[in-house]
Amino acid sequence: MSKVFMKGNEAIAEAAVRAGCRFFAGYPITPQNEIPEYLSWRLPEVGGVFVQGESEVASVNMVYGAASSGCRAMTSSSGPGISLKSEGISYLASTKLPAVVVNISRGGPGLGSIQPAQMDYLQATKAMGHGGFRVMVFAPSTLQEAVDLTYNAWDYAERDRNPVLILMDGCLGAIMELVELPEFKSADREGTKHWDLKRREGENRKARLLTPYYPEAMLEHENTMRGQLYKEWEENDVKVEEFMLDDAEYVIVAYGISARVSREAIFRLRAEGFKVGMIRPITLYPFPKKSFQNLNYDLVKGIIDIELAIPAQMRDDIALEVKDRAPVYTYGHSGGILLDDESTYNAIKKIVTGGAK
Amino acid sequence: MKKSLIFSGSGGQGVVSAGMMTAKAAVEGGKYATFLPEYGPEQRGGSAKCTVVIDDSPVVSPLAKKCDVLVCMNELSFSKFKTQLREGGVLLLNSNRVTSEVKRDDITVISLPVDDIADEIGNPKAANIVIIGALIGATNIITEDEFLDSLKKKFASKAPAIMEMNTVALRRGIELGQKQ
Repeated sequence: MSKVFMKGNEAIAEAAVRAGCRFFAGYPITPQNEIPEYLSWRLPEVGGVFVQGESEVASVNMVYGAASSGCRAMTSSSGPGISLKSEGISYLASTKLPAVVVNISRGGPGLGSIQPAQMDYLQATKAMGHGGFRVMVFAPSTLQEAVDLTYNAWDYAERDRNPVLILMDGCLGAIMELVELPEFKSADREGTKHWDLKRREGENRKARLLTPYYPEAMLEHENTMRGQLYKEWEENDVKVEEFMLDDAEYVIVAYGISARVSREAIFRLRAEGFKVGMIRPITLYPFPKKSFQNLNYDLVKGIIDIELAIPAQMRDDIALEVKDRAPVYTYGHSGGILLDDESTYNAIKKIVTGGAK
Repeated sequence: MKKSLIFSGSGGQGVVSAGMMTAKAAVEGGKYATFLPEYGPEQRGGSAKCTVVIDDSPVVSPLAKKCDVLVCMNELSFSKFKTQLREGGVLLLNSNRVTSEVKRDDITVISLPVDDIADEIGNPKAANIVIIGALIGATNIITEDEFLDSLKKKFASKAPAIMEMNTVALRRGIELGQKQ
């Protein structure tokens, strides 16, 4: 283990290399550019391949190809580019190929702004492409968490034969922070043989991937199995941090950079005697439903959703679990304006002192 | 004790690298730090800003509205960020480029002609090192040794002459920072 002061995007890239990722294809877009830049020299060092594709569409399809050969493959982009890749991500899901996609998100919609935002929550958790499939969505809040989640992302992707999305705001992509880098994992694994088209030495097997066109009954069967898989995620794979909830009268819900700003506000408010806690989803999908079911609604006076998105996007998922047992407030900025400790503290304080609607 | 620092100026003045070097020195000195650069779409020119948070325990939020130290390398950044300096904070100004009056008496102001000083030393690019020197001289957020040790890792083997020049620039900044 070694500790390094690293930039968020580069930390994700290095964690991918250590997780055994040996293929990356991407296309430039701010604020994720350090990921391809880093991998352009780092992957060749470890015998991997880096390609700057001619477009986002080409890049995601190169990842599709690399994944078909059993290679741990990744692509990254930001909002507009992720939209372009969404077709390919849907095809990856359809063909049941593992891959990791990173979205370092910026303001939207459309070209939006190059500044950090959390405006791709709905896209990430509800429809990462056409056809109603889901992907696991990891949302790190510290660079250490970004490293750990990236490092393990392929294990989930290969277990489920489904793409995994890492959704991190441009702010965490740009900051530098101390991280502990894990040991290298082996990229050559026996487990890939069920979809790996590469013939191994002495092997007679003809591996075959089904093209993404299924007869109706088979497609229905596949989709039923997918539905089953998503239920299993909810049972087994939810990652969440519950912070100071025991006596909490107000519960903040925030992820990524918003959770860090909120935590700072919680410390200040606690020091002033306000009973504030936080539910911090680490997997945005599967959503940590149980954390909301387990709240003591005799005690909880309000839920405060804090996001870098206007209108707030996570609110609906929260409201679905809270079921009118407490009011759900929202606070945030959008379009590239960042949250800051002062205004976030003030906004929460206004709510907990009864000054907000 | 948590300290937040904002480094600001125009693109090319070494503002972002000053912040990064300060954060690195803190981390290598055993503290925790975050460094957050903020920039627009311009390739050069435009305004440059970065926020550094240094703490004894892992940094909770890397975003800070109010700062304890504000470094302004030009007039525009001074007018833009002056209200973000907390009461009792330290304002470090490049007096070659910040000409307007500081109308606050609740802060410590250190105003140095860092462009001229860097020219005198023979390296106009070292203006950012001079202002870091002043920061070290006026506060105890990072120490001279922490900064020089960190800088050595970057320059010593590759460019001993640059290291030497930067050491001179830093010491000059420290000296002037302590005086004011």
